[in-house]
Amino acid sequence: MQEEITPELFEHLVELAALELTPEEGEYLRAQLNKQLQAVHELQAIPLEEGIPPASHGVSYTPESSPPPREDAWKPYPNVEALLSQVPETEEGYIVVPDIPHEALS
Amino acid sequence: MEYEAIIGLETHIQLNTETKIFCSCKADSWNDPPNTNICPVCTGLPGVLPVLNKAAVEKAVLLAHAMHSEIRPVSYFDRKNYFYPDLPKGYQISQYDQSLAHGGYLDVPMRDGEMRRVSIHKLHIEEDAGKTKNEQGRRLIDFNRCGVPLIEMVTGPDIRSAEEAAQYLIRLRQLLRWLGVSEADMEKGHLRCDANVSIRPKGADYLNPKTEIKNVNSIDAVRQAIETEIKRQIRAVEGGGKVEAWTLSWDEDSGTLSKMRSKETEADYRYFREPDLLPIHMDEAWKSEILAAFPELPLERRTRFMAEYGLPAYDADLLTAERSLSDYFEAAVSAYGGDPKRVSNWLLNDVMRMLNESGKTAGELRLTPQFLAEIIKMVDKGTVNTPTGKGLLEKTEETGKSPREIVEAEGLGQVSDSEAIRQICAQILADNPEQVARYRGGKTGLLGWFMGQVMRATRGKADPNTTRRILQELLDTSA
Amino acid sequence: MSTPIPFLPAHEIARQVRSGELSARQVTEAVLEHIARVDGIPGQLGGDPQAEPDKVHAFITLTAKRALTQAETVDARIAAGEDPGPLAGVPFTVKDIFTVEGTPSTAASRMLANFIAPYTATPVERLENAGAVMLGKVNLDEYTFGSSSESSAFQPSPRNPWNLDRVPGGSSGGSTAAVAAGEGALSLGTDTAGSIRQPAAFCGVVGVKPTYGRVSRYGLIAFGSSLDVPGPVARNVTDAALMLQVMAGADPHDSTAVTLPVPDYLSGLEKGVRGLRIGLSPDYFRITYPDPQDGSLREEALPEAIRTAVLKAAEALAAQGAEIVEDVPMPHTRYGIPAYFVISRVEAASNLHRFDGVKYGYRTSQPVADLREMYRKSRGEGFGVQPKLRILMGMYVSAAQYSEQYYNRALRIRTLIRRDFERVFDPAGAYRLDALLTPTTPTTAFPMQDVYGDSVLMQYADQLTVPANHAGIPGLSLPGGLDAEGLPLGIQLLGPDFSESTLFRIGRAYEKATAEEAWRATTPKIVHG
Ligand SMILES: [Zn+2]
Repeated sequence: MQEEITPELFEHLVELAALELTPEEGEYLRAQLNKQLQAVHELQAIPLEEGIPPASHGVSYTPESSPPPREDAWKPYPNVEALLSQVPETEEGYIVVPDIPHEALS
Repeated sequence: MEYEAIIGLETHIQLNTETKIFCSCKADSWNDPPNTNICPVCTGLPGVLPVLNKAAVEKAVLLAHAMHSEIRPVSYFDRKNYFYPDLPKGYQISQYDQSLAHGGYLDVPMRDGEMRRVSIHKLHIEEDAGKTKNEQGRRLIDFNRCGVPLIEMVTGPDIRSAEEAAQYLIRLRQLLRWLGVSEADMEKGHLRCDANVSIRPKGADYLNPKTEIKNVNSIDAVRQAIETEIKRQIRAVEGGGKVEAWTLSWDEDSGTLSKMRSKETEADYRYFREPDLLPIHMDEAWKSEILAAFPELPLERRTRFMAEYGLPAYDADLLTAERSLSDYFEAAVSAYGGDPKRVSNWLLNDVMRMLNESGKTAGELRLTPQFLAEIIKMVDKGTVNTPTGKGLLEKTEETGKSPREIVEAEGLGQVSDSEAIRQICAQILADNPEQVARYRGGKTGLLGWFMGQVMRATRGKADPNTTRRILQELLDTSA
Repeated sequence: MSTPIPFLPAHEIARQVRSGELSARQVTEAVLEHIARVDGIPGQLGGDPQAEPDKVHAFITLTAKRALTQAETVDARIAAGEDPGPLAGVPFTVKDIFTVEGTPSTAASRMLANFIAPYTATPVERLENAGAVMLGKVNLDEYTFGSSSESSAFQPSPRNPWNLDRVPGGSSGGSTAAVAAGEGALSLGTDTAGSIRQPAAFCGVVGVKPTYGRVSRYGLIAFGSSLDVPGPVARNVTDAALMLQVMAGADPHDSTAVTLPVPDYLSGLEKGVRGLRIGLSPDYFRITYPDPQDGSLREEALPEAIRTAVLKAAEALAAQGAEIVEDVPMPHTRYGIPAYFVISRVEAASNLHRFDGVKYGYRTSQPVADLREMYRKSRGEGFGVQPKLRILMGMYVSAAQYSEQYYNRALRIRTLIRRDFERVFDPAGAYRLDALLTPTTPTTAFPMQDVYGDSVLMQYADQLTVPANHAGIPGLSLPGGLDAEGLPLGIQLLGPDFSESTLFRIGRAYEKATAEEAWRATTPKIVHG
């Protein structure tokens, strides 16, 4: 059987997903992906007539069932401290992460 | 070979709503310490959901209408997925294929008097990301700006020079303020600009690869960055190289471009419909409610000022630079009832100076258009002379009192009674026989000196024309 | 002998607490004692999956102190003559995929093991405001990704109270195991493809997947945002209705929570089924799945016991006056899983983007050269294998060049699945059904570790439940007897949008019709232990 997700494509996906995998994990995941895709291919056998729209939600929203947009009124959040207490590294109110390097243009 | 530049601008416009686009934090945190104007929603905590701010949609509709864009009856939000530390959810809620509006244009008068029509390709609503800064090999992040409502507007490749790009931004900034949808302060990042630049031999009809310059955040920066990049591209091509589709970053301090890492820009955003938000249904009723107060736009008003009031282009341009000033002018013309050019002169010469010095907008002056009209009328009638009239501008602004009241209270009324002036003149001639002799000996230039003496004696209230006439009469005839 | 407190129905506890026969504190203490006896050690990071195999292990975090304080508040309100709410003193648990202020909200993942939520999910808040007493957070598949609850990073994972060598199902396995074992009368679960109904069936309890939009998702750590629905787990239909009554309704924090009024679910509960049209579809009596060896599609009839349970339920309802409509075609049922593989993965991959080690949750402690490496290591170490699988699948099928072939196609097939339901529920159509009656699951609870690891087979356990998630419609799973091994069987009712009242009414009629059957008197093994 032809593998849809080749090791090269898999590496690309892993990079896109910002994941670091052990070799065993990678092997297992790639095999599972290919297996799932076999199941997914069942979709391609379904005759889809023109004009069948995609459904982003199953339930269709009507004007009666849709909440109105929010009024533009400021409500300060009282618990900012609790938010910041979750941050792995902070400094003087800033959230700290490692750098993103730039290249100078000659 | 001669080259021409092909430039398209991508602008991000921060809407001046009270709150952010999907949460109730305030939109403006210019003066706030980092990470203080935040909540679970705009920091992307697990489990939170966005709730759309009505005012953001309404301001976007105003702008779209002003750009002559077509507003879609149903538009959708989509997720633009990418990793960046200033983007707490790991995706930006934006609009992709079915945005609020599409198409349209902005007419931009160029310096040579030509009008350039710049087409608009895309106009959509999205949320802003936070801010990051580098410090000693680390990146510091502030989420205060996360979730501020933005309009992203992308022009067609219709701009041909750095100067034209600058003019486009100047006009856009004027329009945004005019509509009241954005403060459009580039220094504060309310109006941000990325420029797509490519070059081709003049007259060619194909497009070459373009570079994208990020971070050009002032009118001067737009001029300089694009100018620099056009020169770099020409150098590259003439040196036998070619232009690659890089993403560049403009450093305003050093005035240099740097290339951003390809990893940062190579992206498949995997757009898909945002399942957490319902589509925007912009029905006719809502749209007409929003557009009910849609103002006459600056260029239209400029044309009308020239036609209706007979103003020269220069005056009309200045008077429509800003909506408040322009409204002020019309109110003053209407209260004055006389020559609109005369109102324009007063406004542009004197009132403008007051505005610049105080930082106020015309609408905020205590010197109302009615008061200004009153002052000009008093000058016209000779109730006060021109210098007194100009002095009244400040006095009215300071006190908020009507100019007429001030004139009466301070006794500033002009002495136009010629008998009174004649007596004063006669007295001055009698007091200064030497000067009179010199005048009569041919030094007629001394008339100015006599005028000054009369003015001093009357604390400036003597009508200058009358004074001049009487002085000449006395000096010339009593020989 | 009267029912011990841990097994009292929620509506009975509320009645007794409100009337002063029991205090909320008494109830809470009794249930906490029961938990101490049956639950064993809670799931923990790095825990031994085989530890204490004779216990349920429903919990990740037991909040006993908080529960007692809440119970005292309820009692104080009663003493002060105030209305303590319709769920006064009712002990409940919360699937640890919801945020509750001040408690760990882990999603059963290392990624969020240290995350203390600064806000409370709307459904939890509403339950607490109604006087219910939260006992703690219960276990689940990591980020709800699974059908057995075994993929939790917090081990041991829950066991099925009816047979401790079996899985409780998933992903709301902690919820259904807890409710079945008397660890709380109610539990708040979530259902993305069957994650409430499937474990409810496995554990012999009632599970409700409300209509999408009926209950706010605010505070639910998202999996598939267009599919996820919070819903009740209870031991009987009345309790489930009472719980949904409290949770349902619009929420200013959720733009997809509908503004339609919430009907009174309890007033019509005893009305019976006379005149209701209930359909049976052959498409729900077989499953199609890929052969684990060669991947070829196999179609298989459901086990006889499951089939029989459903048909017997139909007979019981017919005897109560319902009209049974047979041979209702639901031709797109079999595409539910493949479409789900695509849609849910795209949404999940995006929803999991935010877990990057920047602002909360796990950040790698290893040295890193740059930001990107911090992301890779934090996510690589923080996520278990199931989230990684969903992320990668989502990345693949939503990539620009594949999106049309997969994602957009799946969304259009979703429309076809929805249309199956619209056609049979259409009041002017050929079938005019009030509900469909189906099995909930193609099997009873499978042995632990049996299909775990095979992501495809695992997913096919949801084949009969996932169409409702695609279509957004409500579903109700009811205990429908026991199989030869003494394992619970689930039957499912599916109805049109916002027809929860009707589903409860049918469910209640079925309960009454089968009240005297022998299996109703059987209780899970652990209870006797
Ligand atoms: Zn916020």
